[in-house]
Amino acid sequence: MDIGLLGQYLANGMMLGTMYALVAVGFTLFFGVLDVIKFSHGDVLMLGSFTGFTAYLGVLAVGIVNPWLTLVAILVVSITTTAALGAVIARYLVLPLKSAPPLNILLITLMLGTALREAVRLFYPDGSNPKAFPALLPTASVDLGGFALRADSAILMAAGIAVIIGLNLLINRTRLGLAIRAVAQDEETAKIMGINYTMIVLLTFGIGSGAAAFAGIMNGLYYNEINFGMGLLLGLIGFSAAIIGGLGNIYGAILGGFLFAGLQTVGAVALPFASAYKDVFAFGVVIALMAWKPTGLIAERSSDRV
Amino acid sequence: MKDNTTKTGWLGLPPLVVGLGAVVAVVIFGWQFLLAESELEVLGLVALAAVAGWAGGKTGLTGSLNEAMRGHGRTMNGAIMIGLLAVIGLLSEEHFPLLMLTTMLLYLTVGLGLNVQFGLTGMVNFAGAAFFGIGAYTSAVLTTHSAVPPLLILIGGGLMAAAIGFLLIVPVVRTAGHYSAVVTIAFGVLFKTFLEVNDVLGGPQGLMVDSMKLFGWDFNDGPQLFGIEMSFYVNYALLGGGLAVLAFMLTQRLERSWLGLALDSVRLDETASACFGVNVVRAKVLAFTFGNILVGVAGSLYGMMISFIAPNSFTFADSLLMVSIVLLGGLGSLWGTAVAAVIVVLLPEKLQILQEYRFLLFSGLVIVMLLYRPQGLLPRGVRQFFPSWRPQR
Amino acid sequence: MTFSTHRRKLFSAALAATLSLSLAAPALAKDTVKVGFIGPLSGGVSNMGLGGRNSAALAVALRNQDPNAKYEYELEALDDECKPNVGVQVATKLATNRKVVGAVTHYCSAVAMGTVDIYHKFNLPMIVWAAVLPDITYGNDYTEIHRVNGTMINQNETAADFMTGQGYKTWAIIHDTTDYGKGHNKYFSQFLTEKGGEILGTFGVTSDQQDFTAELTKIKELNPDVVYFGGLTPIAVRIRQQMDKLGIEAQFQGVSGIKSDAYFAGLSGDLAEGTVTFLEGAPAAKLPGGEFFLAEYEKANFGEDYEAYGPFSFAAMSLLLDAIEEVGPDRKAVNAYLADVKEHDSITGPITFDEHGQNTVALITKYVAQDGKWVVWEDSEYADGTRKLTGK
Repeated sequence: MDIGLLGQYLANGMMLGTMYALVAVGFTLFFGVLDVIKFSHGDVLMLGSFTGFTAYLGVLAVGIVNPWLTLVAILVVSITTTAALGAVIARYLVLPLKSAPPLNILLITLMLGTALREAVRLFYPDGSNPKAFPALLPTASVDLGGFALRADSAILMAAGIAVIIGLNLLINRTRLGLAIRAVAQDEETAKIMGINYTMIVLLTFGIGSGAAAFAGIMNGLYYNEINFGMGLLLGLIGFSAAIIGGLGNIYGAILGGFLFAGLQTVGAVALPFASAYKDVFAFGVVIALMAWKPTGLIAERSSDRV
Repeated sequence: MKDNTTKTGWLGLPPLVVGLGAVVAVVIFGWQFLLAESELEVLGLVALAAVAGWAGGKTGLTGSLNEAMRGHGRTMNGAIMIGLLAVIGLLSEEHFPLLMLTTMLLYLTVGLGLNVQFGLTGMVNFAGAAFFGIGAYTSAVLTTHSAVPPLLILIGGGLMAAAIGFLLIVPVVRTAGHYSAVVTIAFGVLFKTFLEVNDVLGGPQGLMVDSMKLFGWDFNDGPQLFGIEMSFYVNYALLGGGLAVLAFMLTQRLERSWLGLALDSVRLDETASACFGVNVVRAKVLAFTFGNILVGVAGSLYGMMISFIAPNSFTFADSLLMVSIVLLGGLGSLWGTAVAAVIVVLLPEKLQILQEYRFLLFSGLVIVMLLYRPQGLLPRGVRQFFPSWRPQR
Repeated sequence: MTFSTHRRKLFSAALAATLSLSLAAPALAKDTVKVGFIGPLSGGVSNMGLGGRNSAALAVALRNQDPNAKYEYELEALDDECKPNVGVQVATKLATNRKVVGAVTHYCSAVAMGTVDIYHKFNLPMIVWAAVLPDITYGNDYTEIHRVNGTMINQNETAADFMTGQGYKTWAIIHDTTDYGKGHNKYFSQFLTEKGGEILGTFGVTSDQQDFTAELTKIKELNPDVVYFGGLTPIAVRIRQQMDKLGIEAQFQGVSGIKSDAYFAGLSGDLAEGTVTFLEGAPAAKLPGGEFFLAEYEKANFGEDYEAYGPFSFAAMSLLLDAIEEVGPDRKAVNAYLADVKEHDSITGPITFDEHGQNTVALITKYVAQDGKWVVWEDSEYADGTRKLTGK
């Protein structure tokens, strides 16, 4: 295998890793502030990409043809709608069950995910069929010795990494992030210190869901296709990534995301069985990791929750 | 407790009469429901059942039934089994209703298995469909490639599910809560993907399963009785019924035993039970394996009955549907599981409008349930710590 | 919401068409006979299934309109979602319904492979309207199984012949791992090797795979002249899309399973341009009864196109109805009638079943994607040299 191909595989893996990390960060945020797993996250992502697609159709109907303008419209509409949806889910499904057994929240969000998925399949116009997501980014490509780096892939990856860094800065460098970390560390004390607990929880869910919507758009732009079932596997991968990285630690989520993508790529390329086994391999490794490190690679520390 | 309950129950009738009457009513209802063709009939019968259930609760019928089950357990159990036989007999010439009835009985068995894991011990298994599939695939391989007697294959399906379950034992037992959930979820997805890419087991195409044979008698030949040719599904319905009854009895015995008590204590507080000398690891392994065996055996028979299986029959969504059965019925409540199995399996089949919406409908129902009635339709009574304990409300 | 109302509207339009047609007939009290149709009515290849469903419904409506028909026919159309397990469920539902006398079933070969045993078990006469895997008819001795369309053998022979004739030397093969994709791989590889083409690599993919970059990166390394894909439209769209993303410049060649308008709907820009594919039978307009079929289909005002296999579905349903008219609504009698079909007149040409119930359709038509449409090769700008296939 020559360097060019190696680069190609690396780029493929990085792309997937960025998407997975974006999803995993959401899981980590929710777990951090509320100690809950919101399993509908993947389907919220799917809803984000469908909202973006609908926005695209709307923009097209208005007659705007500039791809950059269209892209901005898609992102704004999709991220705000999805963030609002995330907050609504937190307010009406997650917070009421806060004192119930933790499994109930996992169950209710699992079921919510199924409900969202089925609702899109049944009620979105022609929702059971895949939709062709528009290619809005420039497709010029540079050939680097057998490795075709396309402008759109490069832009997507850069944007994804920028969002991850942005989220990290938001959590660690801003007043809002401070409040989120305070709530994550100790709910009671945070309340006593004058932090509006409910507001912070809703904001966190909004931020996490917005990140999922961004990952959804990214997915749509990369594969030029969205379908109602895309969220299930992405959500599952994101969840696994957050878990193997260690729940409640943003670096763990990023590590887990790239690790999972790496496992898939290695499973597809370097191992002596058909590339179709890559998911079997990756999930198998996840299960084995769970047996070895039951609380994830970067183990949870009560003082360092987000 | 016994002194507080009235000796004469509902409408002044003795509990046993009420109990037997209820069995007869359910038999007639089930027979008509399975035969009903028009949506109007089905809706009417559903409404009737809902009203009866509500009125039964209001007028003390439920209390009387409990009394009957408690005081005349053997008679009632016998009556219920005869009732099941009666339904199968009444439908003996109808292919499709029997197929639905058997599917429902097998899902009941699955529900019971998951109930031991989830309801008693508190370990959610999100890979129910995968273990069900392991049973079915075991059937497919053994019926077509070996001369193993099919009855042994059923047991083989259960053992296979248990054996593969053992691979997950270490991560499942070592982890708790969310971490444990991810293990079974990941396994469920892994199982389906593996089947899809693995050519040896038919890939996404799926596999044929040979029919059930018992002592040289092919289950796919309809039995002839008094010159009437019956549907061959009668065979499967009888076997499925036997399986469900056996599973029910085993589960009930387990629940009432000291082992069941240990499982309950593990669910309520692992640390405390460990302090009182309960072997937590052993309890979890026992519950996980017992449940998987029941699910595997049911899947094994299911495969033989529908004669064709594919990875798509055992998806994550199906696992969720199985968990819904346990939740709707009420955690740990065996009769609740039976009621929920009827609702989840039969209702969408009967109401064609619902068919397409069934995942949406049941996920919505579980959400509402978790928000407003987390204890389920027929909640399990609080355990009383006496060896002769019987469930009561 | 709009989806369901949209569909309901279409459905009621079809229903109204059926009703108005049947009302036009003199109101005689005829016995009602049920016939079945199964195809993928939802999912990625639903447009094929809906086209087939409409065509079968059209055959039933026309028969009900005929005053000489002995029975009033009722069509029960079921959805197999192109999934074997769902197909087995709905086939069981149809076969165990005593009122159903016969059925016209399946677009997806993978599904048909799973259901043939069910039809045999319950003695339900069925006619395949679109699935092309040879084993559906040749893999068993069931008298219940028939097929009006051709198999993939001839199709792949023509494909190998044509593509080597164009001067292509090396191929990479991608196929889905259902029996359908594996069948295509088997027959195409066989004929291609005979004709002197070289296969550089073969890749099996699952039918709901999303990301093909790993497989395609390997293909890029192999650098073939042609990428052959044996599978259905949804995956063909993804592979074509990602080929472009990785900068693979090879001719894309499909099979009958991608000859669908959805192929163009799924691809942005001119990515579809120049894709070649092969289909048994002639284009509808060139069929013996094509003019009649097209006119009636137009009149019935269905919302969807009849697609590649609509005429076959129409012919299969008409044949089934002919059989019931002739021998009465009895499964065994209909089976006996179908066992002996020779030179039976149909819009796709005369139907003759061999001992396996297979109709022989020798003619294969070559198609090329040109300006967002499938154009018959001989009529295309590629054949006269105005445009060129990739690498030529």
